[in-house]
Amino acid sequence: MTVTQEAPVLTDAIAVEGVARSFGSVRAVDSASLTVRHGHVTALIGPNGCGKTTLMLMLSGLLRPDSGEIRIAGHDPRTDSAAVRAAIGWMPDQLGSWDNLTCLQTLTLMGEAYRIPRATARERGLSLLRRVHLEEFAERPARVLSRGQKQRLSLARALVHDPAVLLLDEPANGLDPRSRVELRDLVREFAAEGRAVLVSSHVLAELDEMVDDAVFMSKGRTLGDDAAAMVADARLKYRIDALDPEALQAALTSGQVDFEPTATGAVTRIDGEANAAQALAWLVGQGVQVHRFGPVGSALEQTYMAMNEERR
Amino acid sequence: MSTETTEHHLPASDVAVNPPPRTGNPWLPTPHGVSLMARIELRRRRPSTKGYILYGILFAIVIAICLSAAIFTPAQLSSTNFEIVLVMVLGVGMLIAPSLSATSINGDSGEGVLAPLQMSHLTAGDIAIGKLLASWTVSVFALVALSPFLVYTFLNSGWRVGEMLMTIGAILFVVLTFTAVGLAWSAIAARAVASVALAHLTTGFFVIGTLIVFGVSTLLFTEEATQRDRYIDWEQLTPEAEEALNEAYMTGDYSALDPADYQCVDSEWAYTITHTEHVAWILLTNPAVMITETAPIVDPETWEEDGRAAPGLFATIHQLVSQARLGPVEQLDDHIVYDECAQLFQQAEASDMSDEELEENWAEEEARHMERQQEVANLDRAPWIGLGVTGALLVGSMWIVVNRLRVPYKKLRSGTRVA
Ligand SMILES: Nc1ncnc2c1ncn2[C@@H]1O[C@H](COP(=O)(O)OP(=O)(O)O)[C@@H](O)[C@H]1O
Ligand SMILES: [Mg+2]
Repeated sequence: MTVTQEAPVLTDAIAVEGVARSFGSVRAVDSASLTVRHGHVTALIGPNGCGKTTLMLMLSGLLRPDSGEIRIAGHDPRTDSAAVRAAIGWMPDQLGSWDNLTCLQTLTLMGEAYRIPRATARERGLSLLRRVHLEEFAERPARVLSRGQKQRLSLARALVHDPAVLLLDEPANGLDPRSRVELRDLVREFAAEGRAVLVSSHVLAELDEMVDDAVFMSKGRTLGDDAAAMVADARLKYRIDALDPEALQAALTSGQVDFEPTATGAVTRIDGEANAAQALAWLVGQGVQVHRFGPVGSALEQTYMAMNEERR
Repeated sequence: MSTETTEHHLPASDVAVNPPPRTGNPWLPTPHGVSLMARIELRRRRPSTKGYILYGILFAIVIAICLSAAIFTPAQLSSTNFEIVLVMVLGVGMLIAPSLSATSINGDSGEGVLAPLQMSHLTAGDIAIGKLLASWTVSVFALVALSPFLVYTFLNSGWRVGEMLMTIGAILFVVLTFTAVGLAWSAIAARAVASVALAHLTTGFFVIGTLIVFGVSTLLFTEEATQRDRYIDWEQLTPEAEEALNEAYMTGDYSALDPADYQCVDSEWAYTITHTEHVAWILLTNPAVMITETAPIVDPETWEEDGRAAPGLFATIHQLVSQARLGPVEQLDDHIVYDECAQLFQQAEASDMSDEELEENWAEEEARHMERQQEVANLDRAPWIGLGVTGALLVGSMWIVVNRLRVPYKKLRSGTRVA
């Protein structure tokens, strides 16, 4: 690869451009483009059946794209798929475990499959089990694990070979609220360790605090700048509720502020916390009895809902 | 969880690992990968309690048969009991090993444990051969479990050690091949039910189907031959002449008959000669025949001096196969034309030269028969076609398996997902 032309490829852990893949007549991924940098967490968001898993399979070097360009840590899965697979820790959305083997055996054997010496693999397995809070289950067969615990074992399995790139396919599925918070912290840690993380999920509220970027996907296409603009816009939205909504709306109109009226008040766009404090002071100064003032909520969720695409 | 606890664990999780880098997309098997894959398979496919019960029942039946084979050992050498135990080893191997391998790949893929292995440094060849060896090992366990009977019956069988090892080798090779066939079906079919059924159907085709194909194709190589006999034309006989003839048949005294009274007719009849020698190779592709063809040759006359047992099961099969390979006896021309008229009216002369000559005739025929038997029994063993077919089946199956396991997938098994 010529460095001069494709310099950004080298810095991006994942670079995808115009990737497509069909299964027979089903066009699972139509055109997907995204980049993830080392140390960053990117969310892949979209309704069921929009092609998230298929895209991740192509990134992981398990599935050959029909067209498009992929670079993982600088390697092309078409010519160098072993290098791609070695660089990737993949947590599939389908939970599979060797029922007869204990959690520690599973991780040790998996480590050996990556050509890590057995003793080292075992030690790393133990530390990973501690990290995902499964240390009590180290010597118990995987079949006794609950769904959430299997999910965590699967996450540990994705990390046995210390990959530079993590692909997590709906990791929050089946996790209890506490485990979700833990997952969020873990994912941030992974990024802090310099790994590039791509997370697909529809538990949007959790993603908000976890991710640096979001890529929206719909019907096999990634929505590039439009969706990014929508997220940025959604982050500006403030909800203002007052005891007398009409007085609030009148005050906003007189101040020439753009707003969307709601039953209990209004939604408006405010850029930055300082501006928000100023706006609130101004409203109170106008004699509006404000009882609620704050960001509307999950920007990702708003964008997701605003996309208003059909489910497949 | 609080952030402190995570930080507390952080150093521990930093057990440094540095897996070797890789490039390209290798698929060839490696010793490390194959043995690791086989180890994983053997550990995770330990049977459940139900499985153990099933194996126990199967095993009890086999042991009962082997026991009776061992108990009813006659005083003199007899190879049949030993051969029955060999057949048991083959049967158990052909039932269990392909059943296991036939659910190995589609089963793993359905459970979601195949793709993570494909993501690792294990190559398609590692996974394929590791799985093959793991399933096949189970049939080796069966062999080991039956070895007391094998040794006991061997001692009385008249086989040499080398011969036993060769035939056991052939059996294990056949089992390995059909294990590979099962694995190939599990790589092709999405559902376990289908792949197990197809695996056993394939085995059935090669073991029984080839016999049927052989039988049917012999029909294509038949030859019509005619034979001519002469009879007295009973319809033209006057009542007196008929009575006289009956009388003569009863008494055996033909001198009173007047040849002029009797009309002779020619009668032609057709019969079929089957040239099995043209299609005998179909028999030789049969893996079971291939195994029996590796067994020692037992001479039907000199077996006692040779220190052998009387021809047993395998030797008999060898004789049948050899008969098919040699085809029909040269010509049936040595068939003596039956000529009733000549017999009747040359009885006088005939009876003169009879006894010794008849005896001689008999002896000659007997000798011819013995010679044929010798030829049939001592015909060179012909396991090569069978070995070739088995080997091709093994290589072809593994080629399919490796190709189906290589990632990135171009095409998926229809109706399946990668994960
Ligand atoms: N192996 C396959 N064969 C046929 N269709 C498939 C296969 N895998 C996925 N699809 C189809 O492709 C689309 C995208 O699937 P997927 O990537 O699993 O969606 P997501 O993970 O976003 O829910 C779906 O319509 C699905 O039915
Ligand atoms: Mg999915």
